[in-house]
This record gives sequence, C-alpha cells and structure tokens, in this order.
Amino acid sequence: MALSSDSSTGRNSREKITIQNVSRSYESIRALADVSFSVSEGEFCCVVGPSGCGKTTLLRAIAGLDDPDGGSILVGGDPVTGPGLDRGMVFQEYALFPWRTVRGNIRFGLDRPACDCPDCEGRVRELIDLVGLDGFEDAYPKELSGGMKQRVGIARALAPDPEILLMDEPFGSVDARTRDRLHAELLDIWTQTGQTVVFVTHDIDEAVTLADRVVVMDADPGTVQSTFSIDLERPRERTSRDFVNHVARIRDALGSPIDASH
Amino acid sequence: MSTRTDTSSSPVVAGSFEGDLKRYLRGLGGLLVFLVVWWVGSMTTQPSYLVPGPLESARAFVDLFTTSTAIIVPVTGSSMALPTGLAHLAQTLFHYVPGLLLGAGCGIGLGLVMGWNQLLDDWIQPLVRVLRPIPPLAWIVFAIVWFGIGHTGAAFIVFVGAFWINFYGAYGGVEGVSGELTDAASTLGVDRDLSMLKLVALPSAAPQVLTGFRTSIGRCWMIVVGAELFGAPGVGYEIINASNNLAMATSVAYMFLISLAFLCMDVGFRLLERRVLAWR
Repeated sequence: MALSSDSSTGRNSREKITIQNVSRSYESIRALADVSFSVSEGEFCCVVGPSGCGKTTLLRAIAGLDDPDGGSILVGGDPVTGPGLDRGMVFQEYALFPWRTVRGNIRFGLDRPACDCPDCEGRVRELIDLVGLDGFEDAYPKELSGGMKQRVGIARALAPDPEILLMDEPFGSVDARTRDRLHAELLDIWTQTGQTVVFVTHDIDEAVTLADRVVVMDADPGTVQSTFSIDLERPRERTSRDFVNHVARIRDALGSPIDASH
Repeated sequence: MSTRTDTSSSPVVAGSFEGDLKRYLRGLGGLLVFLVVWWVGSMTTQPSYLVPGPLESARAFVDLFTTSTAIIVPVTGSSMALPTGLAHLAQTLFHYVPGLLLGAGCGIGLGLVMGWNQLLDDWIQPLVRVLRPIPPLAWIVFAIVWFGIGHTGAAFIVFVGAFWINFYGAYGGVEGVSGELTDAASTLGVDRDLSMLKLVALPSAAPQVLTGFRTSIGRCWMIVVGAELFGAPGVGYEIINASNNLAMATSVAYMFLISLAFLCMDVGFRLLERRVLAWR
C-alpha cells in the first residue's frame, strides 16, 4: 500500500483480522449468526462465551478449517479460502502427532514445501528452548504431561512463524497451577514475537489475565454480545481491585454463570 | 524451569521375578500333563498308528533333519539338496512368502486408498462386500485351472487370504484417523490429499496395518497347508503324503515343524512391531 510506510512490528491499530457478518448453521443450530468484529495487528484478543456460542466454529473459520455459510473473513485484507501457514492453530486436546517426537512435531510445519528455512534444526532448538522443553526433544507425546503437550502444541504452531496465532481453549485440560505458568509463558512469547492472537476460552479469569480486548459471545444463536478493553498492566494480579471489576463486568454481560463443564 | 514430568508411561512388567518363575513353572506343568495324556493315549490305542506317541513323533522329527532331500528351486529351475524337513519347509516358503507379501501389499494399498477416498469407497464397497466372504480355499478351483497345481497356484490362494486381512487392517486404520490430526496438519501446510495420506493417515493407521499383517502371517499358514493338501509341494503335502503311508509320526513331525515356523515368524514380527510402534 502506498500510504503505509511503517514496517515496524510495534502494536498499532491496523486491522489484521476482519470478520464481517459471518453466519454458520449446522442443521437446526445457528452456531454463528451475523457475527462481526475485527482484531488489530499485534492484539491479544480473547473470545469468551458459554458452550455452544460458536466461538470454536469462529476460530476454525478464521483458520480456514470451516467454511461459513455467509459473510466474509479477511486476514490482512485477503479473504480466507483455506488453511495457511500465516495462521497457526493450537488445539484444546493438543492434536499432537503421537508417532512423532517433540522435535518431530515441532518440525512438521517447517518441512512443508511452502516453508523454506535456512536452518530448520536451529529453529527447532530455538522453539524447544522458548517453550522450556530442553531435554525432552526425543520424547513421544505419550511420555509428556498435559502442560508439556500443550507447550509442544504452541511451539509447533509457532514454528512456521505465523502472523496470527489461533488458540482454542488451549489450557482447558491442564491443572490450575500449570495453567498459571503457561499464561505467563504465553505472554512472554507473545511479547517476543508480536503476533496477533485470538484465544478462545470459557474462563473469564483467563481472558482478563491475558487479553487486550475481550469479545463476549451469546449462545443460540451465536452472536457478539459486547466487547471489553482490558487496559491493565501485565503481569496482572488476579486479586487486584481492577482485575476483579473487569471480571465482574464481563460476568454481568454474560448474564449468568458460565457452565464451565465444556 | 522446573518442568513437571508425569512420565508414568514406562511399561509395568507383570509381576516380579518370582511371579515370572511361577508362571513359567505352571506353563511347563501344563506341557508335561499334555505329554503324559498324549503318551498314555498312544499306549492304550490300537492300532498304534491312530495316535503316534510322543517319543515316536520326536524320533520322526529328528529324522527330518538327518536325512536329506533334493528340491527344485522355482524361477532358476536348479536343484538343491537340504535336510528333508528344511527342504519341504523351503518348498512351502516358495509360495507362502510371495503370496503373503504380494497379497499384503495389494490389500494394504487398496485399503488405504479406499479408506481415504470416499468416491472410490462408494464404487468398490459393494464389490468388496460380495467378494470378501468367499473363503480363500474356495478359489482353489481357479488356482488349478489358471496356474496348475504348483507354486503359482498355491501362492495365488495365499495371496487371496493375505489380501483381505490386510485390506481390512488398512481400511479400518485410515477410517479411524482423527479429524483433529488432519486439521492440525492442514494448518501446518499440508494441502494435498496425497501428502495427507503419507504424513498423517499412514502413520496414524500403522498400528492397525501391522496388526493386520501379523494376523495374516498366521492365517496364511492355515491357508497354505490347505492349498498343499491339493498337491502343491511343501510341508502340508508331506503331512498327507506321510499319512498315506500310515507314517503318522512323520505327519506329527511336520505339524510340529509348521508350528515352529509360525512361532518364529510371529515372534520376529512382534519384535519388529514393537520397534516401529515405540511411540504407542
């Protein structure tokens, strides 16, 4: 573009992901009904909502894994037509390749012909270091705890250096203490890489801990109910007055306590 | 970072050394009881050829390796002298191995492609339903008119047997590939069907494919003996041949030889399987 002269990686308000009037139905269920919002470049955006509000469907649509019935999704101004290495995805149940070691899983995206890295082994080592898995390079997923598996999932998604990181309740299956540590690590990684993150969760505390902005969705039909900016310094103290207020506002917006079982 | 490691996956060996010893002794006891029952049975049955005794059978087994027999090697057509037991085992392997490998290769290939491609599945599924229930030995009539009684005909029967077992192993394996894994691969740049088959479906289906192959090793031994009863050379034929001369102990010796051959192959393949599937 002729107008834009800045190529810095700093946070700015350019739209990275634009979701316009997206709808998606499964038989009689309207998973998404006319959903619109956008995510700025470098922004950490959390999407919260009850089970069945279509937040996972929305994330999959951004990833190009699901085709909406109507509306459009633009990434960097181009419509999404399928999955791509510019969008990395982290799955709730890890989705690691069980027959590949930690190294092999992280390496997977680098070995695709679409990606050319001068030093793939070096890149893999760097990522293993980044997610703190030194010494587990040759372990198979079955030998890892849930938290370690998700570290591999994150490193694998980061390997092809995507501009966008899509995370689908990534810490839903790990215990509370591990989750806290993974939150801190994820924020570290995000600060280092400056990626745009869309993070789906049903946990309001988690959203307020991480996000620049929280998008609250309603279920049946899945719609955007409201959005909240979280302008607190990181790391955030969960017991602080401001934190508690943000959580309370979002909880009020949701109307009733979220069913945390899904 | 103090990474927590719940690596509770190291295989727990059943029981201690003492427990293992007890189990071995029980197994040995079972064998001894069987030998005694066999021996008593052979002593009390008349005429004696109805149940050849254990000692007589053991002697016949030893004879398989102290006498030698010349066999014709297929393809080259040259003659080769081996201890009798090994010579007939080699004859069996001349049609067992090609039949098994070719049948497994074709079965796995078709199973993978059909499990992966819905269109092909739609086309071929009904045909498979019709052909699958036909017992491999029923094809013997065609084996005979097409290839004659010999290595090729017997290999064909083995092929049919190996084909279906391996087909279902691969087909079921590919059908069970998790959608989440293919999704993950898609987001990591796998954009062609063939790459997905190679990088995700095949490794993911490997356990079922290998189980299918191991099952077919055993099944094909049953089939090959059946095929040889119709006249193809090999250990199965020798079982019939010996019994025609009322040398029942020799029949038992060949039966035992088949058991040993199968056991060796099965154990060998299990070891290979454990290595290949170390990730499980």
